[in-house]
Amino acid sequence: MRNNYDVIVIGAGNGGLAAAATCAKAGLKTLLLEKHNLPGGSASSFVRGRFEFEPSLHELCGVGTPDNPGDIAKTFDELGAKVDWYSHDETYRLIVPAEEDDPEGFEGENGVRVKIDAAMPAGFEAFSRKLDSIVPGSYESSMKVFHLSTLMYEAFDDLNSGKINPVKFLTKYGDVFKMAGHTVRECLDELGMPKKAQNIFTAYWCYMGAPPMRFDFLYYMAMMHGYVERGASMPHLRSNEMSCAIDKVIREAGGEIRYNSEVTRVLMQNGKPCGVVVNGKTKLFAKQFICNVHPNFAMPDFFRPAQIPADARRKINGRSVAASLFTVYLGMNRTKEQLGIHNYSVFISTADDSDDQFRLVQGKMLGNYVIINCLNEVIPDCSPEGTSMLFLTGITYGDVMQGVRPEDYKKLKTKIADEMITQCEKALGIDIKPYIEEIEIALPPTFSRYLNTPNGSPYGYQLDLWDSMLSRTIQYNKDQPFDNFLFCGASQERGDGYGCAYYTGKKAAGLVIKKLKEGK
Amino acid sequence: MAGLLNNLKIRDYITILANRQKQFGLADDSAPAGTDASRALARALHPNRQYLKVAAVTERAEDVKSFTLVPDPERGTKELAYFGAGKYLTVFAEIDGQPVTRAYSISSSPKASLEGRYELTVKLVDGGLVSRYILDNWQEGTPVEVSAPEGNFEYQPLRDAKTVIGLAGGSGITPFLSMAQAIRDGDEDFELILLYGSRNKKSILFAKELAQLEKDCEKFKVIHVLSDSRAKASEGFEKGFITADLIKKYAPADKPYSVFLCGPQQMYAFADKELEKLGLERKYIRHEMFGEFHNPAAAPDYPAGVPETVKITVTQAGETRTVEGASNDSVLQILEKNGIAAPARCRSGECGWCRSLMVSGKVYIPPHLEYRRLADRQFGYIHPCCSFPLTDLVLDVPEAK
Repeated sequence: MRNNYDVIVIGAGNGGLAAAATCAKAGLKTLLLEKHNLPGGSASSFVRGRFEFEPSLHELCGVGTPDNPGDIAKTFDELGAKVDWYSHDETYRLIVPAEEDDPEGFEGENGVRVKIDAAMPAGFEAFSRKLDSIVPGSYESSMKVFHLSTLMYEAFDDLNSGKINPVKFLTKYGDVFKMAGHTVRECLDELGMPKKAQNIFTAYWCYMGAPPMRFDFLYYMAMMHGYVERGASMPHLRSNEMSCAIDKVIREAGGEIRYNSEVTRVLMQNGKPCGVVVNGKTKLFAKQFICNVHPNFAMPDFFRPAQIPADARRKINGRSVAASLFTVYLGMNRTKEQLGIHNYSVFISTADDSDDQFRLVQGKMLGNYVIINCLNEVIPDCSPEGTSMLFLTGITYGDVMQGVRPEDYKKLKTKIADEMITQCEKALGIDIKPYIEEIEIALPPTFSRYLNTPNGSPYGYQLDLWDSMLSRTIQYNKDQPFDNFLFCGASQERGDGYGCAYYTGKKAAGLVIKKLKEGK
Repeated sequence: MAGLLNNLKIRDYITILANRQKQFGLADDSAPAGTDASRALARALHPNRQYLKVAAVTERAEDVKSFTLVPDPERGTKELAYFGAGKYLTVFAEIDGQPVTRAYSISSSPKASLEGRYELTVKLVDGGLVSRYILDNWQEGTPVEVSAPEGNFEYQPLRDAKTVIGLAGGSGITPFLSMAQAIRDGDEDFELILLYGSRNKKSILFAKELAQLEKDCEKFKVIHVLSDSRAKASEGFEKGFITADLIKKYAPADKPYSVFLCGPQQMYAFADKELEKLGLERKYIRHEMFGEFHNPAAAPDYPAGVPETVKITVTQAGETRTVEGASNDSVLQILEKNGIAAPARCRSGECGWCRSLMVSGKVYIPPHLEYRRLADRQFGYIHPCCSFPLTDLVLDVPEAK
């Protein structure tokens, strides 16, 4: 039957793309539906004048090197999706500007008074030595941290091999369980890491959206380990290259992709999904569904209230939405050298403590925290000769756009961008504003439009000690609303991040393939 | 092996895991809200379609009319999307069974949209199918379907100079008219000095409105540049064309200024050469889109030996058909002439709405309209609105929703 599929994947974000590619390659009759006219969700790009901007990707810590590939490189290899990776051997630089009278303040680069200015290299040893040079006496605790994360990866491998018995596992990997049950803060305290070193060590919280006081150490280290071990990578032609590469895999495997095709309703039979309505008119049917739309919108948009299981309603109402972002994209008519920029990723904050950084941005629209990235640092030819591109990211939590009227919006965008740029100029001691040739500003409504998520959050549900990656993974089945309608993407086990979304898509696809092969 | 976290307990995680589902059990089971302020704003600013009707028609000149458009609540549009001055609306229409789209800059103020009013001004284009249709058929009460406000031809205070020299030709006056009103209303804050090219005094569009705006707003000034050899220069009028010298005469000498251009392609060709003489930084020059490109065969880099007609096999929403068209037409035009609607908005290559996969075949893309993403080029995606077939094509085109 022409309108019948084995599996329909709703949404071509990273999760949906990985799901559709995995299903199509397994020989399932697969349809991928996407409401926008291009794939990727966050993994995309846009052109302004002579610049093509990366909209979301800060870095991939799952690519690695050809000899030591990370999970993203492995996923792309398995799928046969080809991407030209560029790698970078620095992690991040943290700058905390100091007030005039702060006794801890000292003169940093370009005469800027700072409390912390830490540019951290990749590699466990190099990272720990650098940390020790800034905070003497922190080397040992830093190396212990990486020892634990290495142990954790061994535990994952042993678990996956299925060869280890539970008692032996608990004896060998007791510390790994402890990491899962305790916060980053508790564990770093336990390892005796000095407070100032912790501030540098936990600065990476912003890319995961959970602060050290609430984030389990296991997952923080799972991410941090890959980042510090292998450094970061970026696709050559912005993340649209990654999405196009998977799009191609899906088509070549016989899968069908329809862009500009929005699911407006899910059709039900005997209390279970059996089909979808596309663009309010076309009915298409399938045995299995994988949904890359955030549950908070997918459930009320696609189902009538009575069709949503009570447990699914509670899971929407009982969780909070993770971070939302403000982003500013700048096409500069100067090179990075002319601007005085020599780091890829700089975190700038008024507070030195990561937990304070998190507290300060709650419900706030402006100030306190900004990340500045310069893609030319990783991909020198990403913009025309004599130019460079900057990407600023601010972070917030909550429904911060309340009370903003459409007629206020453009001015608000400019005001926020102005403040973010000014904060970067001050902390780096450089000029940015005179050299802006192109600018685009995205606030939570922009993300809401392109990602269709609550508060425009790209980060899914708030990761928290009580709702951690490990617990979500163990209780995966309990968290799905119907046994033939599985969610994937940032709202699922692993939270935000490209690698995380690909993982959830692949996992959902694996379950669907298994069920269909077993004839269920 | 001795552990490193000896004061922490393994069982703590077991408790946490056991409590997770309990915690969900305590949550409210009411129907989820399904919206928030960000979603509401996104929807208000970017509706997929706006269903409007013509409330008034104003004759501006021969073959030039302005249409006042208001929401049509019966078809589902209660309020108009607010916009930044300079944006355009894409009009969706069907003419003799042929689905078409055209982009027109909004000539009314952003403020008027809050009062439920857009104005579009349409000038007859030589051989123009859609402009002819609109001028002949739109009258009070006509239902009209448009996009959300689109485009990037807007003032941006962090990027542009405080003074903007506007270069307008013919109906290219429309976005500037909106900008001048926005300045008057306090919705934009910059100085706009408009050099407006017309043939003679009689052919100036919005002459009265522009004069009034000059009176009401000291940040706005208009200089009419008349090309007719019989025209005379006087206060507020210049004779000839918009040259580098003329720009210099009106531009501030002591501070940076931006130049915004909107007009026909011939105007851009002329003005761009003049602007080169001024040696402005590229960031200070901004063009509104070029409009639909025609007659590719006249381009110097157009290849030889292209067949006059081509076959296009197109798959859209699971249906495949093969159509024929002239290689002189854009891929988009060929599709439309065969009754196939594609999701087109700007028709100038820039917006990317019509992005489609070219499974096989070759197309010509005028270099100045190459706005495709880099990876799209590598993976065979094209923008049909400015791609001209050189061979038979096989395409996958998204539905025009």
